[in-house]
Amino acid sequence: MKPKFWTILSLLVVLSTLVACVAPAAMPAPAQPAAQAPEATKVPAAAAPAESWFATAAKNASCVGKTIRGVAESTPPSRYAADPIAKEFAKETGINVEFETTSWDQMYDKEIKDMEANTGLYDFVYIEQDIVYAYLARNFLVDVTQALKDKPDLHFAGYDPAKFTTFINNYKDPKSGDVMSVPMESFVKPYIYRKDLFDDPAIKAAFEKAAGYPLAPATTFKQYEDIAKFFTQWGKDNKMELWGSTVQGTTGHPASFYEYYETIAPSFGVYNWGINKDNWKACVKNGGQMNSDRAKEALTFWTGMLKYAPPESTSSTWDEVAATMAAGRAAQGWVYGENTGWIARDATKSKVVGKIGVALPPTYQGVIDDAKAGKGYIGYYDGGAYGIPVGSKNKDCALLWLQYYAQEKFQADWAVAGSRIILKSTYDEPKVQELDKITNGYFTLQKDQGYLFAGAPAFPFHATIREVITPFIWKTLMGEMKVSDALDKACEATEAELVKLGYGK
Amino acid sequence: MKKTKLRKALGRAGIYLVWIIATLVVLFPIYWLFVVSARSRVELFGGPNLLQTHFFAPNYTKPLSSPTFQRYLANSVVIATSNALLVSLLAVGATYALSRWRLKGEGSIFFWTITNRMAPPAAFMLPVFLLFTRVAKVGDSSLFDTRIGLILIYCTFNLPFAIWLLKGIIDGIPIELDEAAFVDGASTFTVLRKIIVPLAAPGIAITFVLSWVFAWNEYLYAATLTSVNARTVTTGLAEFVTVTGTNWGEMAALSMVSLLPALLFLTLVQKYIVTGLTFGAVKG
Amino acid sequence: MGWGLIAPTLIVLAIIGLIPFFYVIYIGFFDWNIFSAKAGMVFVGVNNYRRLVFDEDFLRALWRTLQFMFWAVGSEFVLGYLLAQTLVRDFRGKAFFRTVHALPLMIAPIAIGATWRLLTIPGFGPIPYYLSKWFGIDYNIGRFASHASLTVVLMDIWHWTPFVTLCLLAGLTSLPKEPLEQALVDGANRWQVFRYITLPAIMPVVLTTFFIRVMDALRVVDEIWMLTGGGPGDTTRYIGLHIWRIVFPKTDYGYGSAMSLLTLYFTIVLCWMVFTAIMSRGQETS
Repeated sequence: MKPKFWTILSLLVVLSTLVACVAPAAMPAPAQPAAQAPEATKVPAAAAPAESWFATAAKNASCVGKTIRGVAESTPPSRYAADPIAKEFAKETGINVEFETTSWDQMYDKEIKDMEANTGLYDFVYIEQDIVYAYLARNFLVDVTQALKDKPDLHFAGYDPAKFTTFINNYKDPKSGDVMSVPMESFVKPYIYRKDLFDDPAIKAAFEKAAGYPLAPATTFKQYEDIAKFFTQWGKDNKMELWGSTVQGTTGHPASFYEYYETIAPSFGVYNWGINKDNWKACVKNGGQMNSDRAKEALTFWTGMLKYAPPESTSSTWDEVAATMAAGRAAQGWVYGENTGWIARDATKSKVVGKIGVALPPTYQGVIDDAKAGKGYIGYYDGGAYGIPVGSKNKDCALLWLQYYAQEKFQADWAVAGSRIILKSTYDEPKVQELDKITNGYFTLQKDQGYLFAGAPAFPFHATIREVITPFIWKTLMGEMKVSDALDKACEATEAELVKLGYGK
Repeated sequence: MKKTKLRKALGRAGIYLVWIIATLVVLFPIYWLFVVSARSRVELFGGPNLLQTHFFAPNYTKPLSSPTFQRYLANSVVIATSNALLVSLLAVGATYALSRWRLKGEGSIFFWTITNRMAPPAAFMLPVFLLFTRVAKVGDSSLFDTRIGLILIYCTFNLPFAIWLLKGIIDGIPIELDEAAFVDGASTFTVLRKIIVPLAAPGIAITFVLSWVFAWNEYLYAATLTSVNARTVTTGLAEFVTVTGTNWGEMAALSMVSLLPALLFLTLVQKYIVTGLTFGAVKG
Repeated sequence: MGWGLIAPTLIVLAIIGLIPFFYVIYIGFFDWNIFSAKAGMVFVGVNNYRRLVFDEDFLRALWRTLQFMFWAVGSEFVLGYLLAQTLVRDFRGKAFFRTVHALPLMIAPIAIGATWRLLTIPGFGPIPYYLSKWFGIDYNIGRFASHASLTVVLMDIWHWTPFVTLCLLAGLTSLPKEPLEQALVDGANRWQVFRYITLPAIMPVVLTTFFIRVMDALRVVDEIWMLTGGGPGDTTRYIGLHIWRIVFPKTDYGYGSAMSLLTLYFTIVLCWMVFTAIMSRGQETS
């Protein structure tokens, strides 16, 4: 027995040493062989045409052969950015782009640690629209506009903030208006419904009989509830795995906080989490709105939808809600726009291909008018950008990358891969219009009515306060706390933490 | 007579029943993991039927053919093996020292190595992160995202455990054997090589295997301290959880793959596990 | 020479163990939240610790963890002992059963969490489906706190019982047979044999195993995070996970460090009591 063991052990040692030698070195590998052009050689490769602007710029900035590293989630838009866009970038410029893909939680932890400690681990980081204010307050990011002004050699003529949709405004410094990160994806969170069910004559007749009005995508909350109730019953009566609503009601993850505060509350007219930005107070008695009657009505409505939602709802983050819709288990609901593409189109992931319709979410009376007048918003405009940490050691090379992916030539296929838009012109691309038809108007909705949606409020303390409020939301979803008490307690806890952080007294 | 025979038979049957149930309980979750790995994403939406008739191979071939995941696998192998070797080596030396010499404060040393393993990982992530990225820096390269870094950090919880396991075993090797060898003119290293190690082999084997498995399966430190180059398989698993849906199929497939080496080890050393785990508590 | 042999170990542990440890102690005296209005660290002395003593969330997390530990580790020991006893004698297929039994120990905790999540997720998992189909039980770990707690305990039992079984088996197989046989001849019943002969003899192994399980239970993060995320609400938000959420998403480094140290202290006290018990027993048996 013994000799056999030692043989195997030594074999393993040899094997692992071999693997260690053969596998890529621990330090970042140099650029791909295709782009190893030494600076002296000005003769382009036989197959390449006249040198592109980016290739020249890379050479002038001594970026050829360097590697820039970024951290992002492994979502379709990011994956598309990594391959093919980053690969083409490497071919053209000789700058290698490495993507560290990780989970949502981890991504932020590591970005923040890197920027706080100024360790320069990442040259570009994924910044979701809601966390950018926190980063801006700490001066974590390179001012892209200023950097391009300082170094005109790096400024690509084709890059122009005006070409972007209004989403780029979320990434502008509030004081100077400078762009601090370049968007790479944006989507709205619309109301999604099963067009096939809504168009079915038998269902339409039955609904009209039960509710007294024709079946159509909900515009008021009463309609939403009627539809939800109807379909849940329909599912039961016809022994289908069908319910009347989605609810992103996870009781162990912040996703439920987000659905309530980004989607439901604004549609009831409660904006900015109910926090008063003038005095940093949240309770009604101090000028806030977090525990206002309207907020309580919103939370009551939303938690009330649980009874019309499938059982996995209390375990559902954005992940599972998309899966619920894709599995055909909900007749209507609120689903992030980035999912509409694959739910409507990809038969390997969705059971409801071609059966999805989108519409504006139901709203409280007057909220849409306020939104049109610019006084409020009706839902969430989500998205992300890549920004450059101040501590990056390859800022110039990263700047080139940021402008590279923003070129028009990538946008159409990128939009199809990830149902995301960053440039205004992309809406008119034929491939996008095709996808628009399959989703029954998602891109049209984003283009024409995207202005009614807004991103997260400009709070530097976004993550911290979220952690304070979320437990109360969880308790209402579990039925352990009454909505009224939960919001009262939440506003007080919020005010206490804000004072501790130095906001308000 | 007949009564005891019947009792014995019932006892026997009882034991078999217990073990069959235990085996089913152990295997069911693993079976389900396999089932999920064999289904495409759409199939997962269908009702949870327990039988799987066909095999959705892309769940396995996609990650396994991707160079990224191949690198993760390679990293895991290197890190786990190197760490297990390092730990075994260090632990043999340390426990031999603790056993044969009256070192001052040995009780405290022993206890202090254990406290390293007690620390809740979360708050230590930041100091270790800073240590790796700021302090342990030579020019432009730091310990962050290196395999060496992980190999070292895993010592915090593998070394104490190894010392613990080995101490009792080495204590159980009579010191007379050492003394006899010294009389014959052997050096300490010879004693270690020719006497201690062979006699303690089962214990060392267990130490190696358990350290290997812990290092192979570790997630938190690997996720925090690696980025692109030194990533391991377990961190790769967490990557599947995204905003646009978790790819359970591929995640399950990768989990099954990562289970294999540990399984292999288990079958190799399952004979020694029982003797190795006495923690030296019972002598002889 | 002795010091020479142990030196490498001490050096490695000092660098990666001591230095971070001192830094955590240092941070614990500051109020440091990355996203507070006053950026940077603000010295607050022992204020963090003072807050901790009255922090209900922290105390509840600790209490929850102790409860979890009691049920999980307790069951593991009962099951482990019974299973170990059956493995002492030989029977056909023993090696096979023993090997299969040790499987869960080999799986990555994060994979175990994922597996159990796949098993128990309402709507998609087999367990809720069949429980409702065959027994009419509405099993939902996202909604019912008791279901989630039970599932987490079961998962831990599934994961760690093999460890306890193997350790106890090791202890049992090394027992001398004579006292046992003598006692049976003298007419002692099973319980008396267990209580007065077996238990004291295997006490060192029992205590050591208990020690290890207690330590690990207080640190558990990945599995629970994968399975419930700490939910519903904070039902399964054990201290390891609680600290993680304070340090990471909430970026409250100062408070999180202080909490970590207090928990470590608590663990040490708990384990020190067990440790001294082992040492004294060890002296007794030898």
